[in-house]
Amino acid sequence: MKEKFSRWEILFAQYLKRDWKKIIFWILGIGLFSAGFVPAFEEIAEGQGLVGLYETLKNPAMIAIVGPTPIDVATDYTLGAMYAHEMLLFCGLMAMVMSVFHVISHTRKEEELGLTELVRSFHIGRQANSLATMMETILINIFLALFISVVLVSFGAETISVEGSLLFGTTVGFAGIIGAGMALVFSQIMPTSSSATGSTLGLIGLLFIVRAGTDISNANLSMFNPLGWTYLTYPFTNNDWLPLIFALIFIIIVTMIAFSLEGSRDMGAGYFPEKKGREYAKKSLLSVRGLFFKINKGIMIGWGIAFIFIGASYGAIYGDMQAFIESNEIMKQMFSHSGISIEESFTGTIMMVMIVLVSILPILIVNKLFTEERRLRLSQLFSTKVTRRQIYWNCIGLAIFASIIGILLAAGSLGGTAISVMETKSTMDFSDFLATGFNYLPSVLFMIGLATITLGWIPKFGKVVYFYLGYSFSVNYFGAILDIPEWVSNIAILSWLPQLPVEEFEALTFITISVISIVLMAFGYFGYSRRDMMEGT
Amino acid sequence: MEKVIQLSGLQKKFGKFQALSDVTFSVNAGEVVGFIGPNGAGKSTTIRILLGIIKRDAGHAEIFGKDVWKESFEIHKRISYVPGDVSLWGNLTGGEIIDLFLNLHGSGNKQKRDQLIKRFELDPKKKAKTYSKGNRQKVALVTALSADSDLYIFDEPTSGLDPLMEAVFQEEVEKLKNEGKAILLSSHILSEVERLADKVVIIRQGKVVESGTLEELRHLTRTTITLETEGEIVQLKNVLGVYNFQYKDNYATFSADTKYLNDILLAATKLGVKKFEAVPPTLEDLFMRHYEN
Repeated sequence: MKEKFSRWEILFAQYLKRDWKKIIFWILGIGLFSAGFVPAFEEIAEGQGLVGLYETLKNPAMIAIVGPTPIDVATDYTLGAMYAHEMLLFCGLMAMVMSVFHVISHTRKEEELGLTELVRSFHIGRQANSLATMMETILINIFLALFISVVLVSFGAETISVEGSLLFGTTVGFAGIIGAGMALVFSQIMPTSSSATGSTLGLIGLLFIVRAGTDISNANLSMFNPLGWTYLTYPFTNNDWLPLIFALIFIIIVTMIAFSLEGSRDMGAGYFPEKKGREYAKKSLLSVRGLFFKINKGIMIGWGIAFIFIGASYGAIYGDMQAFIESNEIMKQMFSHSGISIEESFTGTIMMVMIVLVSILPILIVNKLFTEERRLRLSQLFSTKVTRRQIYWNCIGLAIFASIIGILLAAGSLGGTAISVMETKSTMDFSDFLATGFNYLPSVLFMIGLATITLGWIPKFGKVVYFYLGYSFSVNYFGAILDIPEWVSNIAILSWLPQLPVEEFEALTFITISVISIVLMAFGYFGYSRRDMMEGT
Repeated sequence: MEKVIQLSGLQKKFGKFQALSDVTFSVNAGEVVGFIGPNGAGKSTTIRILLGIIKRDAGHAEIFGKDVWKESFEIHKRISYVPGDVSLWGNLTGGEIIDLFLNLHGSGNKQKRDQLIKRFELDPKKKAKTYSKGNRQKVALVTALSADSDLYIFDEPTSGLDPLMEAVFQEEVEKLKNEGKAILLSSHILSEVERLADKVVIIRQGKVVESGTLEELRHLTRTTITLETEGEIVQLKNVLGVYNFQYKDNYATFSADTKYLNDILLAATKLGVKKFEAVPPTLEDLFMRHYEN
């Protein structure tokens, strides 16, 4: 028994050395996200903020997204209660997903890459790698838990107690380890690493939806859900450690199952047979467009779901928006334009946030073309009757298509949810939301234009576009609060477009930016058709 | 004969690195040209220029009498290519990828496709990410061979195949040759080139250092001679054109420059030849001679 895992500690030490940079980013990233928002929440909590938020978050749509709170009276809703209520589930999910990726990429994925074969040929136990990876992930989550707790305490907020902070951090850490355990099981039973990742994330998604349902109907039922244990601890209010005991038992059982499954399977094989694919291609695949659609399908669906989700979560706020925004000075400043309804002004700002997110998808698609080129996958394509022009414009076409669908999904789900929660009080109808969204289409086209310029001329700098996107976003989002010089703001493309529905639609601006974007794309093609393909770089 | 590929004075620089300094050769219809050279000599760079994937800095490069960069689209209708490093889309099956490529090529033969899949023993229902290097190569080979082209460019096509599959490949190439197709075969497996190629082009450090039929090349180099004489054999050591002379008693092995073969034989007969054996240089000898310098 022992010899299966023998000398795992050698691998363990090796992995810590290999991953230390990743570990630091991981802990700092998730840790600061989880604990660092205390000052921001303090701002929100000023005045009647807490009461306003309490009302907003009692909305079933919000409970479905952030979970329930044990507080019954608005006056008991303290800063700590709010922080745990709004943040804990999401932070736990992040820690969970991160651990899932880490575990699968260092167990199943390495089997596929042939690394495991090499490692196992040495004087090292057959399952030492899995144990070492699992231990590494547990250690990382312990550090993450401690880091979060320390940062939370360090703000010295009155209602953020030491015990609560410790519980908050520990809950997030446990969420990560639960994810690691589930990932390890799926790594054993699925036939490939990508199906293992897919089914683990799928299960987490399913658990999330199930808990949304039980949270609304009866929160006690969520206690039977592994995902439930990652937020039902209620730090800073009930400080309930019991769910973590369930989680601990769950983790032990799941890990033991995973190890015993691994012990009786062949390397590279799973328990579920691999699904046989098609012997012949479907007609829809047989073109450059069909191929590009197929290879981008995964990210398009994934982002599409995200757009709907984000749209719906913002949309759910509309019901109690007045109370929420009026309760807070900063919010008020950000969202209120004199003489205009709060919904309209909120819509303009929120739509801009969503458009920035929507812009990421087409940039990803354009950058993917360069990845394909570097991975040597285009040379065979190119040596058939396919021209660079076809490759380029099909990719751009798909990116534009994705932008339009993305805006439709984001604006549509925002509008749909908003109208349904506002019932009859709404001053806006569905088409107003769509118009606000599509008014920003030229800015997305502009982003595609920039991405194509890098693709055509300096493909190695494809990621620079994201910096510009980030810049545009910050300038416009914070532009309302801070005094930003006009030229700084004018560098951001979003500043050129009017903020509907508050401002009037400007056809000339809309068309001018669109035309400029198309010129950029053509200029990108000019470079793309002339440069060497960079294979294997 | 119709010239299918014609290259002269081809040059290419990557930054400061001179990848190709002078590449000149041609491939005719109905001819297999072996393109050999050590790693990094510029074989794949030459092929990528031929395909219009990268642009040459100087020189002429034509396929079917058309410029490889400007008219690549026209050219690609009539060529098939198998890259040295076959990279496929992991979530498509082998069968789907073959169909896609054949459709993009425009002249695929469905029957031949199925036949070749069987001959190469490829499972077309598996996702490409589960394929080994050899299986990925089979996908590219099935595609290339079932497309009806006039020029076939193979970049180390058999490096991942087992000997049985290698034999299948060689048979297929012979069929193509008999149909009058032109074939450019870049390979490290010299026995394969020796068997298939009518002409050999040797490239070294971006320069074609030798080209011609195997016969012609053999004349340029030395023959290995084993000799037994009645007289003192050591006298032959100093004859012009004799190299690497090794002897024991009256038994010697040396390499002889083909130019001086007559003089060497005259000198030998004076000693009374008892036994004589001459082995023509293998492609490997030819290759090593350039490689070692």
